[in-house]
Amino acid sequence: MNRREFMQCATLIVTGASASQLGFALSEEQSQYLASAPNYIHTAVSYFNAEQRAIVTAIADVIIPRDETPGAVDAGVPRYIELMVSDWFSDDERAIFDAGLKDLQTRVPLELGRPFVELEKDQQEQILEKLESAAGDSSWYEFGNVLRAFISDAPFICQIKELTVWGFFTSEVGATQVLRHDPMPMEFDGDYPLSPDDSTWSGGLTA
Amino acid sequence: MIESKSLDFDAIVVGSGISGGWAAKELTEKGLKVLVLERGKDLQHGSGYYGEHAPSWKLPHQGKIPRQLYDEEYPMAKRVFHSFSEANRAFWMNEKDNPYVVDEKNPFMWIRSDIVGGRSILWGRQTYRWSEQDFKANELDGHGIPWPVDYKEIAPWYSHVEKFIGVNGRAEGLPQLPDGEFQKPMGWFALEKTIEQRLQKKAPDVTLTSARTAILTEDLPGRSACHYCGPCPRGCSTGSYFSSQASTLPAARATGNLTLKANSLVERLEYDPGSERISRVHVIDTQSGERSSYSARIFFLCASTIASTQLLMNSASETFPAGLANSSGVLGHYMMDHTLGFSGMGVFLDNMDSYYHGNRPTGLYIPRFRNLNGQDEDADFIRGYGFQTMTLRTDWQTGFNKKGFGTKLKQSLRKPGPWIFTLSGFTECLPQQSNRMYLSRNKVDQYGVPQVAFEFEWSDNERAMRRDAMVHAERILKAAGAALVMPGNAEMSLPGEGIHEMGTARMGDDPGQAVLNRWNQAHDVPNLFVTDGSFMTSASCVNPSLTYMAFTARACDYAVKQLAAGAI
Repeated sequence: MNRREFMQCATLIVTGASASQLGFALSEEQSQYLASAPNYIHTAVSYFNAEQRAIVTAIADVIIPRDETPGAVDAGVPRYIELMVSDWFSDDERAIFDAGLKDLQTRVPLELGRPFVELEKDQQEQILEKLESAAGDSSWYEFGNVLRAFISDAPFICQIKELTVWGFFTSEVGATQVLRHDPMPMEFDGDYPLSPDDSTWSGGLTA
Repeated sequence: MIESKSLDFDAIVVGSGISGGWAAKELTEKGLKVLVLERGKDLQHGSGYYGEHAPSWKLPHQGKIPRQLYDEEYPMAKRVFHSFSEANRAFWMNEKDNPYVVDEKNPFMWIRSDIVGGRSILWGRQTYRWSEQDFKANELDGHGIPWPVDYKEIAPWYSHVEKFIGVNGRAEGLPQLPDGEFQKPMGWFALEKTIEQRLQKKAPDVTLTSARTAILTEDLPGRSACHYCGPCPRGCSTGSYFSSQASTLPAARATGNLTLKANSLVERLEYDPGSERISRVHVIDTQSGERSSYSARIFFLCASTIASTQLLMNSASETFPAGLANSSGVLGHYMMDHTLGFSGMGVFLDNMDSYYHGNRPTGLYIPRFRNLNGQDEDADFIRGYGFQTMTLRTDWQTGFNKKGFGTKLKQSLRKPGPWIFTLSGFTECLPQQSNRMYLSRNKVDQYGVPQVAFEFEWSDNERAMRRDAMVHAERILKAAGAALVMPGNAEMSLPGEGIHEMGTARMGDDPGQAVLNRWNQAHDVPNLFVTDGSFMTSASCVNPSLTYMAFTARACDYAVKQLAAGAI
């Protein structure tokens, strides 16, 4: 089977019939092919108010801005963060996040005379850098901290950074336009040319 | 001999996974009418693989795991993080709904599937022959009982299985890891070739070879060569890796002799004292709760080690008060698993301008190199271990917890970092009478079947090997030229974590010490065969699935000849 035939075959399987028509016998919640499901960030959510949403959007944009390639906002990361805070965080984690956001909402206008979202980008970055240096002791920053569970007591700045970076590089925009994506390689070449400016492949999820 | 005309089937096979699929194929191809009973849900090959080829942005939470759900309903399965995910969770047994007795202080990790195809959909696909040395080990050092079968006898059955399932690998001519019928090996990373050259000079006692893996690199009838998409355990609609769904069950179906019933939990085997045979199986429909029973001439237990042993124990009768076919008293004892774990990791700065294309779904392998010619002088253990290796180029996932913001952070995260090469030791486990499973006296599952409980402790020999693996991993990584060696650990994995549980109905020539004879046939009950991991008399250090398949095929051949001769 060559690549073209394979894609045809896969397309047929995924779109040709509903799961139940194919005799699919798994549970209701699993009865949809994930490959043809809507993107996760299209899930409905309404957890932040408008001001909070604007601050989260500004922070995501500072962490991963648009330059010659799309940034976090282009990739829908603010929506990803809202979904994860709402649906995925534990109560304790959500409390840390909410407090961190509240702190920016109240403290920044008092100290700088303007709300966070109205500051220049480099001022916003300075505020985040201060948060990061204050959080420097968190085990979140430990070297090799890779295949670990989410660190439940990580401070706000670490939470939002992890959600931004994860949400960005696993998004459709981040994975295909900033990283390189090839869902059907049809070969393994272990000595493939790499130029200094090349991005990694996306799709490093093993399971 | 039991008259066949009044029976429902010629043969009943319990389980549809790696062993059950082989029993179904071999028995149906020899003309028997076969019923396969699978307790898991129905699953269609191809169309049932609901997570296949789903990109990260389609997954719930874009791949971040639902922690509370996993903690509450999949506390053991979630530890198999390289295989278990939201892209295949429905294939795994819900542990909250299907409990077993877990000793909080010393838990046993029992990993179960819940689908037609069993764990053959989810397995690691590592496929190794045992060696002459493995089959002789018990006899030589006195642990366990001697194997009644040697390498020469099983070698043709290894070939029979390998040719059908498709195994890619590289012939090495090593006595401790006999070569098989290989398809062409998968490619290597440039770094792996660099490491191989350095090891040949600086650690010549060590061989680095392609992991022998049941994934096609060349097409077989009805199955395509691997397309290197990556995550095999989501299922493979092109049948590129071996599963019973892709390979043995379609072959069995093609004979017209196969009946397969999903959602069919076998509760009990009925022993008929008059004929001294099993006469029926009693089945519970896991969806409706309805009970039924089926009769046959021969019975193959392939439900996985623990489930088959549980079934024998739950089939106790007046004749066999301690469990069916258990006149020896060894049923449930001598349980083994492989201890495995991270033995060392090297960070490499070689071949930095070389990259890869495609996701190779396997690694490399370092076959056993200890105690090969008698006992090594510096080894404080008997037997040995091998290393499975993994090579990866670091990316954003291995460095997202960096400080900094903006374009600089984005640019550093999108580009590859150094190479990482890890070694994980897989050590042989000695058979010990005290390592056992048994039926709880007071806890039953939702179907009223007594729950399984475990008592299992690693021996000092396994502990010594884990330490030795760590020492040698460091030596190998240094010889390989790692810029930085990060030592591993000698921690013991949880019992069962290797998912190679075996040995609870071992085979041997002496009926007083073994449940099964050399043909996987119960000493006590001639029409009963057990061919999953239960029969294993020792564990070797290599992955066991190929050996289960080879013994299953051989037992089917024997059983059908015995039927023809009127001996069963």
